[in-house]
Amino acid sequence: MSKHTAEVIIIGGGVNGCAAAYYLAKAGMKDVIVLEGSPSIGHGGSSRNGGGVRQSGRDVRELPYAMYAVQNMWPALSEELGVDVEYYQKGNLRLGKTDAHMEKLRNLAANANSLGLDMKIIDGKEVKEICPYLSDEIIGASWCPTDGHANPMLTTLAYYKRATELGVNFFTDAKVAALEKVKGKLRKVILESGEVFEADKVILAAGYESRFIARTVGIDVPMTKYFEEALVTEVQPHMFDIMLGVASADFYGHQSQHGSFVFGSDSGLEETTDMGLDELKTSPLTVSAGCRAIMGYIPMLADAKIVRTWGGWLDLCYDGVPVISEVDEVPGLILACGFTGHGFGTAPAVGLMLSQMALGEKTVVDISSLRYDRFKAVR
Amino acid sequence: MIERYDLIVIGAGPAGLSAAIEAAKNGMKPIVFDENAKPGGQLFKQIHKFFGSKEHKAKIRGFNIGYELLEEANKLGVDVRLNATVVGLYDEKEVTVRIDDEIKHFKGDSVLVATGASENMVTFKGWTLPGVIGAGAAQTMMNLHHIKPGNRILMLGSGNVGLVVSYQLMQAGCEVVALVDAAPRIGGYGVHAAKISRCGVPFYLSHTIVEASGTDRVTGVTIAQVDSHFNFIEGTEKTFDVDTICVAVGLSPMSQLLKQAGVKMKDTPGGYVPECDEWGRTSVPGIFAAGDVSGIEEASSAMIEGRIAGSVISQDLGFIEKAEMEARASELEDALGSLREGMFAPKNRGKLIEKTEEGIGVSMNLLEHGFVADDEIERYPGVTHRKGIHPVIECTQNIPCNPCQDACPKGCISIGANITSLPTVTENPCIGCGMCVASCSGQAIFLVDEDTGDGYGTVTLPYEFLPIPEKGTKGVALGRDGHEVCEAEVVNVRSAKAFDHTNLLTMKVPKDMVMKARFFKAAI
Amino acid sequence: MIDIREKLDAIGPYVPAPDDDMLVCRCEEVTKGEIRQAVHAGMLTIEEIRRFLRCGMGLCQGQTCGKLVKGIVARELHVSPLDIEPATSRAPMRPTEMRILARDGGEAHE
Repeated sequence: MSKHTAEVIIIGGGVNGCAAAYYLAKAGMKDVIVLEGSPSIGHGGSSRNGGGVRQSGRDVRELPYAMYAVQNMWPALSEELGVDVEYYQKGNLRLGKTDAHMEKLRNLAANANSLGLDMKIIDGKEVKEICPYLSDEIIGASWCPTDGHANPMLTTLAYYKRATELGVNFFTDAKVAALEKVKGKLRKVILESGEVFEADKVILAAGYESRFIARTVGIDVPMTKYFEEALVTEVQPHMFDIMLGVASADFYGHQSQHGSFVFGSDSGLEETTDMGLDELKTSPLTVSAGCRAIMGYIPMLADAKIVRTWGGWLDLCYDGVPVISEVDEVPGLILACGFTGHGFGTAPAVGLMLSQMALGEKTVVDISSLRYDRFKAVR
Repeated sequence: MIERYDLIVIGAGPAGLSAAIEAAKNGMKPIVFDENAKPGGQLFKQIHKFFGSKEHKAKIRGFNIGYELLEEANKLGVDVRLNATVVGLYDEKEVTVRIDDEIKHFKGDSVLVATGASENMVTFKGWTLPGVIGAGAAQTMMNLHHIKPGNRILMLGSGNVGLVVSYQLMQAGCEVVALVDAAPRIGGYGVHAAKISRCGVPFYLSHTIVEASGTDRVTGVTIAQVDSHFNFIEGTEKTFDVDTICVAVGLSPMSQLLKQAGVKMKDTPGGYVPECDEWGRTSVPGIFAAGDVSGIEEASSAMIEGRIAGSVISQDLGFIEKAEMEARASELEDALGSLREGMFAPKNRGKLIEKTEEGIGVSMNLLEHGFVADDEIERYPGVTHRKGIHPVIECTQNIPCNPCQDACPKGCISIGANITSLPTVTENPCIGCGMCVASCSGQAIFLVDEDTGDGYGTVTLPYEFLPIPEKGTKGVALGRDGHEVCEAEVVNVRSAKAFDHTNLLTMKVPKDMVMKARFFKAAI
Repeated sequence: MIDIREKLDAIGPYVPAPDDDMLVCRCEEVTKGEIRQAVHAGMLTIEEIRRFLRCGMGLCQGQTCGKLVKGIVARELHVSPLDIEPATSRAPMRPTEMRILARDGGEAHE
C-alpha cells in the first residue's frame, strides 16, 4: 500500500516541483510527496522550452531571484545533483536588424542597468566578434555576458533523480482533481482516480492546470494558455555556446552541448488555441516559418537538417510574471504558477524559495510582489 | 497555397497503388506520394513467384505484379508522385510533402496511409560493424541496384524474409554459410526452407549470434545454441568466416505518421499499429491505413486491403453507392480470407501445428532442420509412384496456394476448393510437360521417371541459378538435406517463356536414388 | 497512478551485466548499461529515458533502436514490451534541411 500522507505535497512534477522537492529534502524535510499528472516527470513546459538561463529582459519583479539563481545556484548545480545539466554561462545576444529593433533593445538594456544587471548595447562589428556565424544584416545587439543556457530535460530529471535518492516519494499518472480544506486549513488532495492524499502544506506547481485546481478552493489566478513550438537540428559542428534571441521575437535558441541546435519559434499566425492540453500537436506552418526566421540571422544553418519539432503550452499570467505565494484564505496552500514561458532559468531559485515557504522560513529574495492577490480591476 | 485532392495516398507500394486504382476506377482523383525514386514499394525487390490463387496473382513474380499495378494505375490516370517525401500529417488531413527542394502543402478529403514497414534489428557484440545488414537491405542491393552484398554470408532469421533472401543471395552468386534462428523451429514456409536446404545450406535452429568479429568490418561470426530461455549453452559455439551477416528478424510497421496525426494506436506483438475497423478506417475520420503499416502480412494481402480501403473511401465520399461498395468489399474480403487460412494464418502465429488439415503428421525434420527426411516424404498425398514419368509434389504444409492444379493441362494435380489443401496426384497420365514444376512458387514439384530401363531413372527439377548447366554436364546429385547422394548427369535442360525463368533441369541418377536426389551440382 | 518508490523497490538495484557496454542507439551512442542504469535511477518511461540519455533522438529518430530500447526497459521493469508506451512521433518524418523547410510557399508578412 502506497503512502498517501506527507508533511508536504507538491502538485506538478515539473522543474519547479522537482526542484522544490529536492531543496526540501536537502533541508532535511524528506516526508514529501510529488504528484505528476502525466506518465512522465517533466512532461509539460519543463521539457518543452529553449533552455534559457536568462536575466536580461526580465521584469523588475523577477530579476532579483533570476540573478540569485545565476550567481548562487546554476554554476554548481551539475556537481550538486550528480548529473551534468549542461549549464553554459557564455552570454546572451539579442539581435537587431533595424533601428526600431535597436530602440527596443536600448530600452531593455536601460531597464536592466537600472536594476544592476550588466547589459550593454553593441554594434554589428562587436556582434561578429562574439559570434562570427551571424548574418551581415545584423546592425547591433544587446549583450548580457552573465546569461546562459542549460538542458531543461536533464535539469528537471536531475532534480527528480536526486530528490528520489534523498527519500522524496514521486507518483506519476496522478492527476489532481481537487483540493479540500479540513477545519479551515488545506488538507486533502483528491485525484481524478478518487484517491486521496493528505498533507499540512501543498505546493501547487502544475502549470496552466494549476488554475483549475486552485479554483476548487476558491482561488483564481488570471492566466491563459499559449502553444509554442520548437525545432531541433541534427548534430552540427560546434559553433557557439551563447544564447541567442532577436529583438523581433521571431525565435530564440542555442546550440546544445551534444551539437544540435534547439530553437523556439511560432508562425505568427493564430496557434491552435482550441487544442486540448494533452494533444501537443505541432502546426504545419510553424516549422517553415521558424526556419525562415532563423536563416535570416544564422545563414550558415541553411543545410542543417531538422530532425524533430515539438510544442508545449505556456501558462501566460495576466501581468507576465508568475504567482509565487502563500494563500491567506487557504492556509497551507503555496502557489507557483503562471511562469509565462520563462520559468526554466529561475527554477533553482523558485524551488529553493518554495521549500523555504513550506518550511515557514524567510525566502532568500523578497517576492512579495508576486502574491496571488495582486490582480485588481483597472477601471 | 494548398492543393486539394479527393484522396491522398501515402506510399506507392502494393496497398497504396491498389487503393488509388480502386478509387480512380470509381471516378475519384487520387494522388499518390512515395519517397522513393521508383514506385512499387517492396514489390520490385521480389524476384520470386508469389503464392495464392489466380485472383491473388499467384505464380507471378513480385516485380511483374508491380509492373501490372503500375500499368493499371497509369491507364486510369492515377497521379503518382515519386521522390515525394511526406514529412508530416496534420489536422484537417493536411499533408506536407518534400518535393524537389521545397515543401508543398496538400489537403485531402481522405488520406490513406500505406507506408509499409521497416526492418527490425537485433543486438549482439559487434552488431554495429560494417557488414551487418538487414535482409531487406541486401535484397535492395541485389535486386534493385545489382550489387552483391557480400561473398560469404550468414543469415539470421528463418521467417519467409530470411529464407527467400537466402535463396536470392545464392542466385546472386553469394555463398550462404548458414541460416540461424534462435527459435526452435523454422518460421517461414517449409518449401522456402527446403529449396535452400537442398543446395547445401545448413540450418541452425535454437542458435543465435554470440558475436560478430572484425576490427573495421565483419570478418567472422560466432553462433551458439540457446536454451528454452534463450540463454547461450556453453561449449556449443561455432565460428564461420563471413564478410556479411544478414539480419531478418521481423518488420515493424512504419506507423509514425498515423501517430503524429493523432490516430489511436495499439501495441501488438506484430508492432505498433493504428486501431482500424475491418476496412482500414482509423479513429480519425477520413484517415485510413492499409498494408503492412496496419499489421505485417504479405504483399498479396496488402493489395487486397488497399482495394477494400479504396472502395470504402469511394463510398464515404459519395462516388459509389453503399450497395456497390458492400458487394465489392465482400468479394475482396473473401479473397483476403482465403489468404489468411492455413498453417501460417495470423491466428496460428507462434503455434506448433503437428498435423496437416488432412491429418498427416507435419515433418519435424522440416521444422527443425529445413528439409523433409527421406523416410517422411512418402506420407504426403503428392508423393506417389507409378511407371513412367510422373509428378512428385513435395508440398507438406497447408498454405494458401493452388497454381499447380491449373498448370497441368492433363488434370493430373488436384487441390480442390480449399486452397490450403495439400495437392494430390490423380490417375490421369502425365505427359512430362513440366508446367507444374515451373508453376510451383515453392519449387516443390519434381518430375520423376523411376526407371528408364538401364538401371537409371531421371529427376526433373526447377533450376533458377546461373550458369545453367548444359546437357551432358556431369556432377553430383544432392539430397533434400544438401548432402551428396550419388553421381548425376544432366540429360536435358528446358527453358520456355511459359516457365517464366524457371528452367527445368533433368538429371540421370541411379534408379534407387530417384526419390532422394533433388538438386544438381556440377563437378568443378 | 504509479508509485515510483514502490516500482524502484520492486525491481531492485542495478546489477552490472557483461554486455552493458553494447551500443544500442547508434545515432546518439547510448549503451545498454546506460539505459539499464537510467531505469534504476527512476526513468521508467521511454520519454524520460530519451530525455535523460538522448537515445532515439538522433538522425534516425529511433527507427532502429526504438524497439530495442523498449525491450531493455521492459526486461528491467519485469514487464512485457507491449506494456511500455513507445516514444511520440514528430514531424518531420525524415530529416529535412532548413533551407527546404523554409521554402513552403509561405512568406513572412512584412
